[in-house]
Amino acid sequence: MEGLAGVEKIIALIGAIVVFIFALIGLRGEWKKTGLDDQVTKLLLGLMAFGCVLVVLAAFGVLPRGGGA
Amino acid sequence: MSVSIAKQGYQLGHGHDDHDHEQVIYQETRDMRLLGFVLFLCSDVVLFSSFIFAYIYLRTTVAPIWPPMIDGHQLPRLDTAFAAVNSVVLFGSGVTMHYALENWKHGTRAMYNLFMGLTILLGAMFLGGQAYEYAHAQIGGWSGNTFGASFFTLTGMHGFHVFVGVVFLAVLWWQSSRGVYDHERYFGLTAGTLYWHFVDVIWVALFFLFYLW
Repeated sequence: MEGLAGVEKIIALIGAIVVFIFALIGLRGEWKKTGLDDQVTKLLLGLMAFGCVLVVLAAFGVLPRGGGA
Repeated sequence: MSVSIAKQGYQLGHGHDDHDHEQVIYQETRDMRLLGFVLFLCSDVVLFSSFIFAYIYLRTTVAPIWPPMIDGHQLPRLDTAFAAVNSVVLFGSGVTMHYALENWKHGTRAMYNLFMGLTILLGAMFLGGQAYEYAHAQIGGWSGNTFGASFFTLTGMHGFHVFVGVVFLAVLWWQSSRGVYDHERYFGLTAGTLYWHFVDVIWVALFFLFYLW
């Protein structure tokens, strides 16, 4: 089970980095747009990128404090 | 105000170009629909917030230790590694949806179809992952303790939103293939994208609260 968790963490780490990069590229493309939908998209893409950071922290074992599964 | 602008648009368009007239009307109604949709998302934020704050209250005030004790045994933490993979699947679907809309705007239909298909596939994979987790979570049932009750209520409500989103996107994909939208008028796709991003962001909060806190 430990080995499986290790594989899962590696998959999560690589996936989170890839998604983070593409989210930032998408955010950059939206940056100068000013419509309501564009502003909401910027906010939501930014929060999604933050979610990827959380996954990276989980993959490295920084979160949750005290370990986790 | 809005009616008068519509009438002006009609008067401007009347006797000139029907396309211009339709465009004015479309633009105005699009803004109204967009505002309504964003307000709907705000109301959903309120719904999730009330359940999230109930969970925070239970965890910090009612339960002395977390995960809580059942019959003298402390419940295990949830499987963070599996949830991390499932989270990446959902976040990835948010990015593919964003690129699907961008490709639709730029008229690259093949890439639109690719990204839209990927979004729906990843959304369905997330739901499958959640079903797997429900089957294997060792935290008691829905009504057995505060942990199970909070977890199944909040993630179940989110999962229902994801399910609705998958159906929503499938309908949008079908509509776009039937020519309901063009490259100037695609409000449905915009709404679908906003909804899907919203569902992703709610999961960011739930992932932190249930797996990382």
